[in-house]
Amino acid sequence: MRQALNHWARRGFFVAMGLGSALITRMSLPYFDLETLPPFVIEKLPLRFESLWLAALRLHVAAAALTFPLCLALMTRALQRRVTWHRWLGRVSGGLLLLALVPSGVVLAFDAKGGRVVTAGFVLSGAIVAAATVVGVQAARRRDLIAHAHAMRHVVGQMSVAVVSRALIVGLDSVGLDPDLAYVVALWGPVLASVAAVEVLSRRPPIWHRNRIALVERIFRESSALALVVRVRALFRAVAGDGR
Amino acid sequence: MFVLSFVPSLATADEPSLVEWTQHRVEAGLLKLLVERAGSRFTRARPPPHERRVRVTQATPTRDSQDREFVPFSVDVRFDSGDWKLNDIVGCAYRASGSLFVKRGEAYFPAALLFGKKVDPIAGVCQPARARS
Repeated sequence: MRQALNHWARRGFFVAMGLGSALITRMSLPYFDLETLPPFVIEKLPLRFESLWLAALRLHVAAAALTFPLCLALMTRALQRRVTWHRWLGRVSGGLLLLALVPSGVVLAFDAKGGRVVTAGFVLSGAIVAAATVVGVQAARRRDLIAHAHAMRHVVGQMSVAVVSRALIVGLDSVGLDPDLAYVVALWGPVLASVAAVEVLSRRPPIWHRNRIALVERIFRESSALALVVRVRALFRAVAGDGR
Repeated sequence: MFVLSFVPSLATADEPSLVEWTQHRVEAGLLKLLVERAGSRFTRARPPPHERRVRVTQATPTRDSQDREFVPFSVDVRFDSGDWKLNDIVGCAYRASGSLFVKRGEAYFPAALLFGKKVDPIAGVCQPARARS
């Protein structure tokens, strides 16, 4: 029962985040219309460095539109089984995170509405993403997959703040909370809750006694299927080689 | 002063007062369009206020450096049933042309800025002409 609940909660999270990411991307398309200004930009005017801020916004939105779905996909078992794909897509995502998403986010954070409290929230979230990406990559390189998964959960957790935060802004507005306060709550709440949720999930022993047999069976099944594919490929390559 | 109060006004009975004219102009040219423009809410932009009101902050027109008459106004907003937040938008309406301008920072822009148009600030608008010595 608990396992089924966890399974569906995990699926629900991925579906909700995938839909949220698609919706944010759809809502962000006007940022690339160079002739008009979207409401989010208008309410920030005047900006100290308007051109730099707009460039950072477009880079941030484009990087997030690519990396969030990629990170969600990388968390799926289907892609984790395809090691080469997982590795290359992971490199692309990590590069985009460290070179585009986080730096542009830091630039935007300094002009965030809500003052220093909100700036600190965005910078903290970006710092967690950057640090977790570096730690996760290092863990993957030394084949410590548990530490890799733990770090990458923090990355996805902080990226999910984008969706949860917007949903909270809508929800808090509908209950009549002051929008300035709602903005702060909707940022800090998900940032801290994501860290806590990842830590709680990671504290659970990686292998439950009850599931140990099922896990071993699954690993055996997956590795058997992989071994079969490798054997079949080797056979075909050998035949193709002979045919030349 | 007593004698002046008996001098008839130049305005006709059908003509709205300056305050009424400005209120109508701002409501039609700004608030109505802002309501229509409010789109999806799944964004970090501030949710649209539940209520807006126009306050005309001067009952008599002021003249700018080009001798054109304008009337300053403010738009207050309210979220849910909370207190009014004053001066959410500050601007002015030009009496002759009906043009609306809004203040952002220290500069005044055509009101089209609030509807997403990229416009430059216009120097001298909404600012009273300096008294000639």
